Amino acid sequence: MSTSTRDVLSDKTALVVGMGGLGCPAALCLVRAGVGRVLIADDDPVDVSNLHRQILYDDSDVGRDKCEAARERLAREAAPGQQVESLGTRLLPDNACELVRRADVVLEGADNFATKFLASDACRIAKRPVVHGAAIRFRATVWAVGPEGRPCYRCLFEDLPSEGAQPNCAEAGVMGPVVGLAGALLGDLALSVLAGEPRYGELFSYDGKRDELRSIAVAARAGCALCGQNPSIFEIRESRYIAPSCEA
Amino acid sequence: MITVRIPTPLRSLTGGEEAVQVSGETLRDVIASLEGKHPGIKERLLDDKGVRRFVNIYVGDEDVRFLDGLETKLKSGDEISIVPAIAGG
Repeated sequence: MSTSTRDVLSDKTALVVGMGGLGCPAALCLVRAGVGRVLIADDDPVDVSNLHRQILYDDSDVGRDKCEAARERLAREAAPGQQVESLGTRLLPDNACELVRRADVVLEGADNFATKFLASDACRIAKRPVVHGAAIRFRATVWAVGPEGRPCYRCLFEDLPSEGAQPNCAEAGVMGPVVGLAGALLGDLALSVLAGEPRYGELFSYDGKRDELRSIAVAARAGCALCGQNPSIFEIRESRYIAPSCEA
Repeated sequence: MITVRIPTPLRSLTGGEEAVQVSGETLRDVIASLEGKHPGIKERLLDDKGVRRFVNIYVGDEDVRFLDGLETKLKSGDEISIVPAIAGG
């Protein structure tokens, strides 16, 4: 990395939403790259089932607050002058816009769709770029969305799926190396945004069984409720982030 | 023949196959052929309105929502990718 790029990064703030298998390696990438201020948001405790993939924690952290354990570890990795701040909360409807406005880029590595849509909506409203990451079993996807969207997460997936329609980490499992790679890519795309060389709208999809990384250009959707021609989402309403019950 | 790349979450329906070769002139035909070979997969891809909201289907690099949806014309050698929404980490 050039000195000038490092200088640029040292003036930037990144917010990492979700300090799990994606957020841990992504935050480490940001700190090691020299990002000036790294904010971390989560409110889960460290569980023993997290340790195979959430690389900032070890056995001694089980039961501790994830944000605090991560902050301590990241602070040890940080250079003088860099700041790592635990926000002590997860991203919630009543704090989302305020938190994302504090950052130049948001890294969303949440393990649930409600938070993914919330981060997407808040970033569009606050005009902040966001990088979305997800991993389950052997599959991962990562992509960056610009401050205006077009395309955005709602262009691709529209709205929350019915409750129980999609498997979660606990039900499906997450392969540590797969989520680690996705977390590194999450960090890499965020650094590209901060360095002024964003790669918006390119969906990277990793298949851990074939060791294959592919990319597909995502198109903006004219009817998107968030960034389309006649958008309808201009504020955060808590009711939007509650999954409907299963149809079947 | 058309190659359909099967994402991990759907491979339980294809006996673990990562790619399936099928024939068809449109996406609708191809999904019908897939269903014939691997029953149950159509329900995971389509609902009564068409392609399920949480599934994205691409022909090459093009999202079929921006082509002709299920009536998208295909030609031999085309590759179809299925990208389901996932959350987790």
